[in-house]
Amino acid sequence: MPRIAVRGAGKRYGELQVFRGLDLSVGQREIVALVGPSGCGKTTFLRCLDGLIPMSEGEIVVDGKPINGPLPRTAMVFQHFGLLPWKTVRGNVAYGLDLAGASKAEIRERVPHFIQLVGLAGFEDAYPYQLSGGMQQRCGLARALAVEPDLLLMDEPFASVDAQTREILQFELLRIWRMRPTSMIFVTHSIEEAVLMGDRVIVLKGRPSGVAEIVEVDLPRPRTRATLASPRFAQLREHVWNILMDEARRAEFELER
Amino acid sequence: MLRSDARWVRWATYALSALGGAVLWELGGRGASPAIFSPFSASMERLVEMLRTGELGAGLAGSLALFFAGLGLALVTALPFGLLLARAPLVRAAVSDAILLLYAMPMVALIPFILSLMGVDFGAKVIVVFLFCFFPILYNTVEGARSIKPELIEVARAFRSSEWAIWRDIMVPGAFPYAMTGVRQAIGRGLVGMVAAEFFLSASGIGQLIMTSARNFDTAGLFATVLIIALLGSALMALGRALEDRFTLWRGGGR
Repeated sequence: MPRIAVRGAGKRYGELQVFRGLDLSVGQREIVALVGPSGCGKTTFLRCLDGLIPMSEGEIVVDGKPINGPLPRTAMVFQHFGLLPWKTVRGNVAYGLDLAGASKAEIRERVPHFIQLVGLAGFEDAYPYQLSGGMQQRCGLARALAVEPDLLLMDEPFASVDAQTREILQFELLRIWRMRPTSMIFVTHSIEEAVLMGDRVIVLKGRPSGVAEIVEVDLPRPRTRATLASPRFAQLREHVWNILMDEARRAEFELER
Repeated sequence: MLRSDARWVRWATYALSALGGAVLWELGGRGASPAIFSPFSASMERLVEMLRTGELGAGLAGSLALFFAGLGLALVTALPFGLLLARAPLVRAAVSDAILLLYAMPMVALIPFILSLMGVDFGAKVIVVFLFCFFPILYNTVEGARSIKPELIEVARAFRSSEWAIWRDIMVPGAFPYAMTGVRQAIGRGLVGMVAAEFFLSASGIGQLIMTSARNFDTAGLFATVLIIALLGSALMALGRALEDRFTLWRGGGR
């Protein structure tokens, strides 16, 4: 049984229907990647899932029970990192724990562990302005992991770091996920990233957008840099690209609304 | 060549500058009529005397009580109100023009109104100081709260933050540097308000000392008192700056 199932999800802003009829399921320890052209509503969908904005239609079922409101035991990693500039790395990693009601002793014990896990040991007292984009996102990841979520929502987490850092962080995330596997929904506009991360890739397209195809990714884990060079990876990437090609071409020449 | 970052060079520069000011004051004072201006040495002599007789101490105590009552009142009202406005966009839209207007208005213009409304006692004077202090703090706090990125509020909600925790973790620390800028402005304006209230409502404190000195052609006493106000103002401003720096290490000195 899938841990989380979404049925017929839709979001409307007045006249504008962003997405419609979106079905999705995430199993225990499964990574589901959501890919689509920019403006297709994948980030909006993630925010609906997290309960940050209300869904217009559809239902969410967790462990067989329908859920109204925010998903329990969920943490989010943001494209914009969203670190509090006035807190140090230590303070930022403790942020979610503190809000979840963890005791001071608990925070003191767990925070260093997660800082270590994302490779930020030695930078505990640094403020965000002192960190590179990659390090800031490592901190954002530690903050999310520290609350020990059952579901990680990744909102284009590596879209604002440079290409090399992005690749490093992708494999870092895979390494961390092997050590503490959780369910994950990974939103991205990068087809490569979606195929590399996901057990399944859900391809969104159309206006309003809906699920165009669900691609099972049968690449073996653990996935490494060698995965990127495998013929099967190239095949899957081409397959997803072909689904999105027309749409992407059209989107390129579209004027902003 | 002297390195300007060496500590003793900096202190020597300060000392020379202060000495130069004192010499200019001395020379200017000796050249002018004693009814208009008094040399540095005479002013210092008078300052020591006023300290010994206790008239300066008493005047200063009265004025400071007035100043801190007004500033304190402005702090406990303007800071929360400013943050509240930042979280309530509709109310903010309704009152922000009025705030800008009052922020830009010279508060001295309101003194006759306060006089007729509230009289001349301590309470009325506190209101004058309060009015001088209130709008710079409010205006800057609202600006500070508006400068907080909406993404951070979203992060807080994603981590299921309560409204109270949003204030504690985001609104207050985010608005703080701007609010402190407002507080430093308020210190300067509040001192103006303090002296103005003591001149125009009823003579008391430092204001009274200045007026009495002027009336008795005691120019040395007059300048000694003015010097004390100036020193007081700079000390308070420096205190405000030190507090601001202490709590905004996270901005990394770049502002």
